[in-house]
Amino acid sequence: MITRRRVLRGLFGVTVALPFLETFAPRRAAAGTGDVPPFAIFMRQANGVAQQVGDEPEMFWPSATGPLTAESMAADADRAVSELKDYASRLIMVRGVRFAFQGNGCGHSGGGNQCLTAAQVSEDPAGNESLAMGESIDNRIATELNPAGVEPLTLYAGRMAGYINEVLSYRGPKQLRAAERDPYKAYQKLFGLAEVDAAAAEALAARRASVNDLVREQMQALMRRKDLSKGDRERLQLHFDSIRDLEVGLACALPPERVAEMEAISPNVGSYDNVETVTRMQMDIIALAMACGATRAATLQVGDGNDSTEYTIHGVRQKSFHKISHRIDGDGEVGPPIEGAQELHHQIDRIHARMFKHLLDRLSSYDLGSGTLLDRGVAVWLNDLADKYHAYSRVPYILAGGAAGYLKTGQFIDERITVNKLLNTIGAAVGCTNGQGGPLDDFGDESLEGGLVDTIIA
Amino acid sequence: MISPACRLTAFPRWRRLFGAQLSVAALLISGCTGAVGDPREGEGDGVIPGGPTGPEVAERSMFPRLTHAQWENTVRDLLRLDDRPGLSASFTSDPLGGVFDNNEAALLVAPGLWGDYQRAAEELAAMVTADQGKLDRIAPADLPDAPEARAQAFVERFGERAFRRPLTAEERDAYVALFQRGEELFEGEDPFAAGVRAAIEAFLQSPHFVYRVEIGAGPAEGGLIPLGGYEIATKLAYTLWNTMPSDELLEAAKAGELSSREAVRAYAGGMLEDQRAREVVGAFHRQLYDYEQYHDLNKDQALYPEFVPEMGDDMQREAELFVDHVVFDEEGGLTDLLTARTAFVNDHLAAVYGVEGDFSDEFKRVELDEAERSGLLTRLGFLAAKATARQPDSIHRGVFVNLRILCAALPPPPDNATSLPPGELATNRERVEAHTGKGTCGASCHGVLINPAGFAFEHYDAIGKYRTTDNGAPVDSADVYTLGGQPRSYADAVEFSQLLAESSEAHACYAQRWIEFSHGRGVRAEDRALVEELGEASRGGASTKELIVRIVSSTPFLARVPAEAP
Repeated sequence: MITRRRVLRGLFGVTVALPFLETFAPRRAAAGTGDVPPFAIFMRQANGVAQQVGDEPEMFWPSATGPLTAESMAADADRAVSELKDYASRLIMVRGVRFAFQGNGCGHSGGGNQCLTAAQVSEDPAGNESLAMGESIDNRIATELNPAGVEPLTLYAGRMAGYINEVLSYRGPKQLRAAERDPYKAYQKLFGLAEVDAAAAEALAARRASVNDLVREQMQALMRRKDLSKGDRERLQLHFDSIRDLEVGLACALPPERVAEMEAISPNVGSYDNVETVTRMQMDIIALAMACGATRAATLQVGDGNDSTEYTIHGVRQKSFHKISHRIDGDGEVGPPIEGAQELHHQIDRIHARMFKHLLDRLSSYDLGSGTLLDRGVAVWLNDLADKYHAYSRVPYILAGGAAGYLKTGQFIDERITVNKLLNTIGAAVGCTNGQGGPLDDFGDESLEGGLVDTIIA
Repeated sequence: MISPACRLTAFPRWRRLFGAQLSVAALLISGCTGAVGDPREGEGDGVIPGGPTGPEVAERSMFPRLTHAQWENTVRDLLRLDDRPGLSASFTSDPLGGVFDNNEAALLVAPGLWGDYQRAAEELAAMVTADQGKLDRIAPADLPDAPEARAQAFVERFGERAFRRPLTAEERDAYVALFQRGEELFEGEDPFAAGVRAAIEAFLQSPHFVYRVEIGAGPAEGGLIPLGGYEIATKLAYTLWNTMPSDELLEAAKAGELSSREAVRAYAGGMLEDQRAREVVGAFHRQLYDYEQYHDLNKDQALYPEFVPEMGDDMQREAELFVDHVVFDEEGGLTDLLTARTAFVNDHLAAVYGVEGDFSDEFKRVELDEAERSGLLTRLGFLAAKATARQPDSIHRGVFVNLRILCAALPPPPDNATSLPPGELATNRERVEAHTGKGTCGASCHGVLINPAGFAFEHYDAIGKYRTTDNGAPVDSADVYTLGGQPRSYADAVEFSQLLAESSEAHACYAQRWIEFSHGRGVRAEDRALVEELGEASRGGASTKELIVRIVSSTPFLARVPAEAP
C-alpha cells in the first residue's frame, strides 16, 4: 500500500530493511483517489525530430490532426510517435509550439534556455554558455506546491561532454540547477531511508536542531552585513533557505535487485552505451517519487545540450546524434553528408519514444484503485529544438496523462502556440495559480501575452 | 592608469568580449594597452596596499564555495585523515561555469547539497570520535583536564583550523555551548568525545567552513579593501594546493608574515615545491585540454586494430606525465608545452607513435621524432579525441586551437547547417575544404581561422598516428594563420606549434586561463593589463610556476573591491 509512512532519513547513509512497497507488477488497490496530488514530469530530447521540413517528408507526427486512437496510431506505423499507440487515449500531441526569443549565439543553448522557462536568453554569458533569464516551470510547481524547501527532482541521463551540460531547470534568472546523472545517487538521496524508533528519532531531531540553530545564526550574521553584493546576498539566502530541520522522508523503495543494478552501473553512467538504461532507471525513480509524493515536479534530460550520444541502431553504434540531426559529419555548419541520416534521426526519435513509453508504463503500474498514477499527473516528452534546422518553431511537446481530469487527452492538435501558454496550461493542470489565485496564466517572460491553451483543457 | 576616454568607450565591449573569449583582435586595440603602471610595490602597511586606482581589480564574491575536490582535501587535512574520505562522490554536482570547475558563480549551496553536507558532517563526526586513535590526532596534545577549559581549548584550536582564522569570542561561546550539550545529544558516549562530535558536526556545516570567506581587513584604502593575513593564507592554500592552509601557513598568517608582496611570493614559491601543487597544475591542464574527451572513443577496428579502449586512460596518463615533467622537472612553460618532444609512453602508445624498443604497461620516457611530433597538440589524446571513427576531425582540431589555445572569439555556426553532395575528392582535407573553404558559405570563419589551424594536423589520422599519405595522395598540412597581425605560413603541425609558441596570442591566452583558474571566475575587463603583462612574460620565457607566483602576488589576488551597492 502506498501510504505516507513518515520515517527518518537513514542515519549515516545506512539503508536498513525497508518496507516493501513496490514491485514491478503492482496491481493492487491502494490509497484512494486524491491521495496522490497532480504532478508534472518533463523528459527532454535534444536536436529536434525528423519531422517534415524542407525537402524531407513527415516521419514523426500522426498523419492527421484530431482524435487519437490505438487504431489511428497503428495505421501510422511509419511515424515515430506510433511507438506510443498503447497510450493513444491518454496522449495530447501539440504541433506548433514556438519559442518567443532568439538564441544568443547558440541554437542549442537558447532552446534549452527557453523550453521550460519561456524566458529570454541571457546576453552575458552568451553563446553556448547562455542562461535563461527566468525560472523553469518545474521550479514554479515545486515552489508553489511542494512543502517549503523541497526541490523539483532534476535528473539526467548520458555523458556530460562539457560543451553544454544540463539545460532544463532554473531557480530563477541565470540560476541553473545541477542535474543528477547517477540513478544510484539519486535513489539514495530520495529513498535511502531507514526505520528509526521513536527515541532515536527524537535524539536525531534534537541534535540536528542544535546544529541548525547555530549555523542559522552564523548565516544571519553574514546576511546582516551592509556590504554584500546582490549576488552574494542571493547566494547566502539560497543557502539559508536550504537549511531544514529534521529531514523526513517516505518509506518507499524499489526492489533490492533494481537498486543493485543502479549501483552496478554507477561508475559508467556517462557511457554512450548506457544512455538508454540510465534513462529507464531515472524514470523508475521519478515514478516512485511521484507515487510517494516526494515532489510534484521532475525533469529528465537525455543527453547533453547538443546530445552527442552515439546511439546504437540496428546493432551498430552510429555517429553522434548531433551530427545525424544536421545530416552532416560535422558539428558546425557544413561537412560531408551522412548517408541515411534522416532515417537514423527517425530511429533515434523512436528510441526516445520507447523510453518515454517506459515512463508511461511505470506510471501506469501504480494502480490507485480509481485509476493509475499516470491519470493523476502529466508526463511530457519535449524537445528543445524543432527539426534538423534546429528551428524554434514547431517544437514537439507530447503530453501524457490528464492531471486528474484537467486535460482533454486523446488528441493531436496543430496550433501556433508560444511556449509560455503551454507551460501555463501544464502548471495550471497540476494546481499552480497566478497572482490573483486563478489558474496559472502568466508564467514566463512578462512581455509575452499570457493565457492557456483552451483546446487541451477538459 | 587607464585613460578615462578609453575606459568609457572600451569597457562594455571588453566585458562582452571577455565574457565569451578574450578576442585576439581585441588584444591589439591600442591606447588601452600598457598604460597601467607597475604594481604598486611597498605602499601601505600591514597587508597588501590598495593604491590609488581600483579599476584593475574585478569584483568577486566574498563567499566562493569550496569545490567538491577542495572539500575532500580540506576534510582530510582538517581531520588529519590519511586519505580523502570520498564522500563527495555522492554530492550533488555543480553546473558548468566555463572551462574550469571552480567558477564561483556556479558554486551554490542548494537544498540537495546542504543535505549532502549535513550527512557527510554527521558521518565524519561519528567516524572520528568512535576511534580513539583518530580522536587523538585532532585533539591538541596539551589540553587542560578540567572539562570546561578542555572544551574551550578544543573549540578554539580546532575552530581556528576549520575556519582558517581564530574564532571570535561569540563564535567560541556558541561552539562551547554546543560542545557541552554533547553529553545530552549523544547519550551514553564519553562526554569529551560526545562534545567533539557535536562540535565537528556544526563546524563542517558552517558557512565559514564551506565558503572561503573574504571579508577583507578593514576599510577600503584607495578604492580597494586589502585581504587579511588569514584570508591570504587561505587563498594561497586553495589556489596552490586545493586545500586548507597548513599549520605552518596559519602560523605565518598569525605572525603577520604574509603582509608584503615579497613575502607572499616567497611562500608561494615554496608551496609550489609541494606535491599538492603538482595536483593543481595537473588539474588545470586536465580541464584546459579536456582530457575527459580522451575516453569512450569509438574507432573503426578494421582500420585501427592497434586501438584498444584502455588507450583512453593511457592517453590521459601520458598527457599528465608530460605536463608534470615540463612544469616541475624542467621548470618550463607554455613554449615547452607546445614544442617539447619528450614523451611518456607504454606499449599501447609506443605502437601508435612508432617508437622502437621494449615497452610494457609501465610508462617510459622517450624522445619522439622531431620531424613528426612537437608538444601537446601533436600527442595522441588531443588528436584521437578530435577525430571520428575513421577520419581526423580537422574542424574540431581547429576550433580547439582557436578557442582553448588562442582564446580567439569564434562566432557560433548558424543553425541552418546544410550538407553538400559528396564529391570525387580523395583526401580528408579536400573534402573539408570543399565544404568550408574559400568560395563557400563558411569561408569567413573556416577559411581563415578554423581550417588553417585544423589542417596543420593532417599528418595525424583518426587515432593520432603519423601518416604521409591520405587515401593514396600525399598529405598536405601546409597553411597560413594570422598571428601578431601578420600572416604566418607553416608546413605542418610541428612548425605550427612553433609559431604558436612564439606568438603573443597563445601566451596571453595561457595567462588568461591561469588568471581564470586562480581566481575561480571568468576573466573580466579589469584583468586585461595583467593578462598582457603575464602573456609577454611567458613569451619571454617565464615558466608556468613563475606565472602562478606572479598571479598570487598581484593586487587583484591580495585585495578586493567593495561590493557594488545592490
